[in-house]
Amino acid sequence: MIDFARVQKELQECSRDIEASGIKVTPKSENLARLTGTIPGPIGTPYEGGTFQIDISLPDGYPFEPPKMQFATKVWHPNISSQSGAICLDILKDQWSPALTLKTALLSVQALLSAPQPDDPQDAVVAQQYLKDYQTFSGTARYWTETFAKTSSLGVEEKVQKLVEMGFHEAIVRSTLDAVGGDENLALEKLCSG
Amino acid sequence: MQNQNQNQEGQLADGQTASEFEDWASFGDDDIMQQHSAIRSAEADKIPFLGDKEPLSALAAEYESGSPILLEKIKVLGDQYVAIRRTRGDGNCFFRSFMFSYLEHILETQDRAEVDQIKAKVEECRKTLQSLGYADFTFEDFFALFLEQLDCVLQGNDSSISHDELINRSRDQSISDYVVMFFRFVTSGEIRKRSEFFEPFILGLTNATVEQFCKSSVEPMGEESDHVHITALSDALGVPIRVVYLDRSSCDTGSVSVNHHDFIPAADDLPNSTSGGSVTKNPFITLLYRPGHYDILYAK
Repeated sequence: MIDFARVQKELQECSRDIEASGIKVTPKSENLARLTGTIPGPIGTPYEGGTFQIDISLPDGYPFEPPKMQFATKVWHPNISSQSGAICLDILKDQWSPALTLKTALLSVQALLSAPQPDDPQDAVVAQQYLKDYQTFSGTARYWTETFAKTSSLGVEEKVQKLVEMGFHEAIVRSTLDAVGGDENLALEKLCSG
Repeated sequence: MQNQNQNQEGQLADGQTASEFEDWASFGDDDIMQQHSAIRSAEADKIPFLGDKEPLSALAAEYESGSPILLEKIKVLGDQYVAIRRTRGDGNCFFRSFMFSYLEHILETQDRAEVDQIKAKVEECRKTLQSLGYADFTFEDFFALFLEQLDCVLQGNDSSISHDELINRSRDQSISDYVVMFFRFVTSGEIRKRSEFFEPFILGLTNATVEQFCKSSVEPMGEESDHVHITALSDALGVPIRVVYLDRSSCDTGSVSVNHHDFIPAADDLPNSTSGGSVTKNPFITLLYRPGHYDILYAK
């Protein structure tokens, strides 16, 4: 049974210092078992300027069991799957403790963006690139940040252009963007799955 | 520190296509977590968090076809101890043993002076955690649940419980895990508060800093306890603990003896305590240590 009273306290605590931390946690559903975390990309990294959304779902044993977290925003990082958004981070697994909170976990995820651990990869392809060709890695990570983590600032034409550059037909891009209400991430997902 | 399974995952990926790796990457962690819980529930079927009181002969029976040295040692143990109570080997056994042993002692002795003593220490621990920057809501539920158990074992209240009920509660995950976590908070707080004292011991065990050690080896559930944990818990709560070691050590000297170590709380930091003049309490909690595991021992 999830300790909802505690989750409630965590949300209050987190919203209290949102200005200082930039970390946001908002419930997706009324029962607080599914939430969305938001972290700003760390300054001085290829993720700077991006806003990253993380899907959070709380297992029954929370806070004894770790929260399940994965990136909803696409991100190019050795320890985050470029396809699924799965995160390789010890505190989300066997090093979790009830002494940690959603906020401290998200801060650790943010720290992971600053300090990739390519020797213990989640995404082998990205990790190889990070180790063998850092310049290309850094460029790709920045491009993904621009493309996926800053969508709200883009106009429709820019979104269309970006998706067309990825190799999709313009007409299909436009109709897909329309269908998902202009959300570029959703549109890309749809284009990829369709 | 990342766990070994991920390393294996990474190695596997080298010989496989990217899409196969993605399968591993997306499902591996959940699989591992599920496997962990499967192992835990398999363990749970074998023994509850807390077993029944068994005569020492039950311990000897375990080694019947095994080491004669250990059988000799168990015979020696029989001079001072009559019974054993096993705890589940899930990495929390030291804390679960301590929890039951302490509460059972209070239930049987109704030692209100000891209860006052530990409550004062618990308040100190609360202040320690606050001063270390822990948010109250992360630990307050665990503290409250322990204090509630403490009040329940004292008789004469509406909330007083029997020995049977204490056993039931100690086997109830929603109580036992909370108390274990309470002890983990207390232990972590004490180690961090006196980090310069504990640092050399921690460096002897691992390569970690005090901070890393607390984060990775004290605060997560299921992390096993070492002498550092026992020293810190004993000091923080002012409760002496005797640990009797049942292993193959000192077996080539002819006569068989069983080693023990008493963890005596560090002299109180009361301003007027005179050196060496403080009353040393004898341990009323005795745990049996076999490499990797703690159970409760009962003295004659």
